[in-house]
Amino acid sequence: MPSIKPLSDLLINQIAAGEVVERPASVLKEVLENALDAGSRAIEVQLEQGGVRRIRVVDDGCGIDRNDLPLALARHATSKIATLDDLERVGTMGFRGEALAAIAAVARTRITSRANGEPHAWSIEGSDLSLSPAALNCGTVVDVAELYFNTPARRKFLKTEATEFAHCDEVFRRVALARPDIGLQLSHNGRVIHRLPPADPQARTGALMGDDFLAQARPVDADAGALRLSGLVSLPAYSRASRDAQYFFVNGRFVRDKLLTHAVRQAYQDILHGNRHPAYVLFLELDPAGVDVNVHPAKIEVRFREARAIHQFVFHAVSRILAASGAASASEPLSSSIPNHAQGTQTSVDLPPSPPPTRYQAPLRSYGPGPQAMESANHRYFDFVAGAAAPGNAMQGTSNQSGAPAADVPTDGAPLGYALAQLHGVYILAQNRSGLVLVDMHAAHERILYEKLKAVVDGRPSIQRLLIPAVLRLDARSMAVAEECTEVLVGMGFEVAPVGPHELSVRSVPTLLANAPIADLVRQLLDELGEVPASEVITARRNELLATMACHGAVRANRSLSIPEMNALLRDMEATERADQCNHGRPTWTQLSMSELDRFFMRGK
Amino acid sequence: MHLLTTTRDTLLAPLQSVAGIVEKRHTLPILSNVLIEKQGERLTMLATDIEIQVRTISTGDLGGEDASITVAAKKLHDILRALPDTAEITVNIDDKRMTVKAGKSRFALQTLPAADYPTMNLPEGEGTRFSISQKLFKRQLAQVAYAMAQQDIRYYLNGLLLIAEGDQLRMVATDGHRLAYAANPLEAAITRTEVILPRKTVMELNRQLADTDDTLEVTLAGNQAVFRFGSIELVTKLIDGKFPDYERVIPQHHPKMLAFDRVQLLSCLNRVAILTNDKFRGVRMVLEDGRLRIVSTNNEQEEAQEEIEIDYQGDALDIGFNVTYLLDVLNNIGTESVEWRFNDGNSSALITLPGNDTFKYVVMPMRI
Ligand SMILES: Nc1ncnc2c1ncn2[C@@H]1O[C@H](COP(=O)(O)OP(=O)(O)OP(=O)(O)O)[C@@H](O)[C@H]1O
Ligand SMILES: [Mg+2]
Repeated sequence: MPSIKPLSDLLINQIAAGEVVERPASVLKEVLENALDAGSRAIEVQLEQGGVRRIRVVDDGCGIDRNDLPLALARHATSKIATLDDLERVGTMGFRGEALAAIAAVARTRITSRANGEPHAWSIEGSDLSLSPAALNCGTVVDVAELYFNTPARRKFLKTEATEFAHCDEVFRRVALARPDIGLQLSHNGRVIHRLPPADPQARTGALMGDDFLAQARPVDADAGALRLSGLVSLPAYSRASRDAQYFFVNGRFVRDKLLTHAVRQAYQDILHGNRHPAYVLFLELDPAGVDVNVHPAKIEVRFREARAIHQFVFHAVSRILAASGAASASEPLSSSIPNHAQGTQTSVDLPPSPPPTRYQAPLRSYGPGPQAMESANHRYFDFVAGAAAPGNAMQGTSNQSGAPAADVPTDGAPLGYALAQLHGVYILAQNRSGLVLVDMHAAHERILYEKLKAVVDGRPSIQRLLIPAVLRLDARSMAVAEECTEVLVGMGFEVAPVGPHELSVRSVPTLLANAPIADLVRQLLDELGEVPASEVITARRNELLATMACHGAVRANRSLSIPEMNALLRDMEATERADQCNHGRPTWTQLSMSELDRFFMRGK
Repeated sequence: MHLLTTTRDTLLAPLQSVAGIVEKRHTLPILSNVLIEKQGERLTMLATDIEIQVRTISTGDLGGEDASITVAAKKLHDILRALPDTAEITVNIDDKRMTVKAGKSRFALQTLPAADYPTMNLPEGEGTRFSISQKLFKRQLAQVAYAMAQQDIRYYLNGLLLIAEGDQLRMVATDGHRLAYAANPLEAAITRTEVILPRKTVMELNRQLADTDDTLEVTLAGNQAVFRFGSIELVTKLIDGKFPDYERVIPQHHPKMLAFDRVQLLSCLNRVAILTNDKFRGVRMVLEDGRLRIVSTNNEQEEAQEEIEIDYQGDALDIGFNVTYLLDVLNNIGTESVEWRFNDGNSSALITLPGNDTFKYVVMPMRI
């Protein structure tokens, strides 16, 4: 066995770097946090080639003294804490005195800084700690070039430029969300990606999360003693396929903490489907002594002293907001008396069935002549199939249809019977020969759509080209996914093209989903595609993607359907294979026979 | 207290005008009420759903004392409707209840105080004003309204863009798949003003406007629009959003042009539509030398084909369309012939009226 020798300083640092410097994004995180700790008001980040080639961060903070410059690059040297007591109540992002040393060990690092009151700036070279005078007005410039130039093994683990950039972008976004009071700019390969002037928290969140999120989010602001939770949580309508839009900050530090995630998730429990994820930006503030941030090399996990109390506090604060707005948003009364002239049909008021039919509104003068009215009556359900987003179509039922007494409903023929009514906007009640049929309309419709989509996508899907393309705001990661998966998307009927660094335009949609909310749908497909690493897996997961599309296209709860629409759905179920279960394996319908009902009411016998 | 005594129709006609917008299941109970104001010979009725407010003013010999009160619009309407049209109606208000008497019939209704009724303030300032015949406005609405989106998350598409500029009134609607544009002359010189009318307002206007030459007076100010016609005043909030730039979407240089008899084309499409695929509603328009074939197939492999002789020489062209989009436009423009411009199978088609540029309809093809 070779003899034991102490490791060289460089090697020690390189080993330590393995923990701190995983990829360009982790360098950016450390350097940005240092700039924050220095009290900067404006920070500019310049990246080249996803950060692999260069990461340059310019701040206007307090700067580093000439004499301290070599120490900044030394291990275990920090200006931020001095005692264990300090460590237990650390209020800065950094405290280990480790980051810059680790970075300098694996990349060509140069720091230029001018501390307050110094006549000029000094610059230090990471490799040999040589100092030279330099020009700089104030603050610090940290320049990290050629990451892993001296550790080729690690270089191999780097992903494509787009992916590494996406990770850097994510780090930048976290800082930007946490510190709306600071002006921030990010550019990549000379192109400005984000330019964020100081703003109030809501405006900053909107700038980063998109206006769609802002429109679908509700503010949270709760406190209990020294605990405070603030930020924005999405309504269930704006859910995501992955957890990528979840930002939790503890005392300004982004964390991914199981306890907190769980508390939020639990608040959404009954209103969000199991494989959907809420979007949120939440800030928890508490006494630094109540939380240990020194449990993870990247400080991304924390440990709370009073974990249970914090869990309860977060859960209740979020639940309260969702309860106040959630129910209303999920059940927006979509019914109104707008007649659908677009189809040239005549409409009466769609009051719930209350025979005899009332004719409350004066009869309408319809736009178009008759023949088309007939036409669209036949296709009404299909309009709605093709468009969950077009509830107007659901209101075309004529009053005598919706007010028809149950006795008129035929009972023979169709196995699933004929619709009687809709229950709480969720279930369809139908009557067949043996009794009552209950159908979960969303689950059933989702199944039908899914089977239809599968049939269609096997060939070349029929597509509707868009006159006004849908433009989505996406983060860099989703943009990269869209670029990589363009062919997959085209194969499913979505023609997409980037129209800006953060904008993707969708120029066609599969006809089956022509009226579905396109932006949400594509965003979600990208989320899911992003979780699949290689392209061959995509074919394997195609059905999952179709399921997602079906779920989005399917009629939502609280859409009121007319009797003919409900009947069309029942007929479609009968014609669809495996329609008895939804895509998640839950039943789509059930039967309550007359004898079961009789037994319940202790009738007969 | 005796409020008024009059004929049934003096009460019913204005009530019918305002009650159409009353929401049936509103969370605010008072919004299912109508506000009735009586002042001497003047009777005002007003209803609102917060977004739209409709008010009528009528005059007549009413007797009784002056007062304001709100009462369930639908119930009062149903009662009046069910009474004989010759009936003389007496309305009293006592102890927060409204009593409606006619002959030997008597109804006592709950009321809510008029002071609690949420009325909309009229826009301040001058704004943009113009007037136009009801008939013209209504026809223009009809030419574009069917192209509005319904419950699209791009909320600004769930409405109709109204632009008054110079001596022209333009309307535009689109659901992202097709777009309709119509223009009308105005007798005024107006500085450009553009607003988006909510879908419900458009439908209500269409319901209330008459096919007459009587004038409609329009005021656009702030985030409101006011429409005055006959005895009706309709105030609506506007959709605050940026409507897509419609001019960029209307193609300028489509090389191929065909002229059609509207009714002939419409009936061909109506027939072919019978055998379209239920979900897609796609029809193929196949252009060949001297003829246009319109073809459809459905899931059961049934087929329909129509042929129209046309004046066309050139490359064969095969374009798919959602037949509903074609039927919509042909149903809603009242002309004898239409002109149709194509480029290729992937770009939009433009439908116009011969000899004028007051109407344009752009529709994107579908790949079947
Ligand atoms: N942008 C900057 N402006 C001012 N001082 C800085 C800046 N960057 C680094 N420093 C100084 O250099 C020291 C070392 O930084 P480094 O990131 O290595 O350690 P740290 O931030 O103290 O702790 P950690 O390893 O947890 O990040 C800091 O304590 C700070 O004094
Ligand atoms: Mg640090």
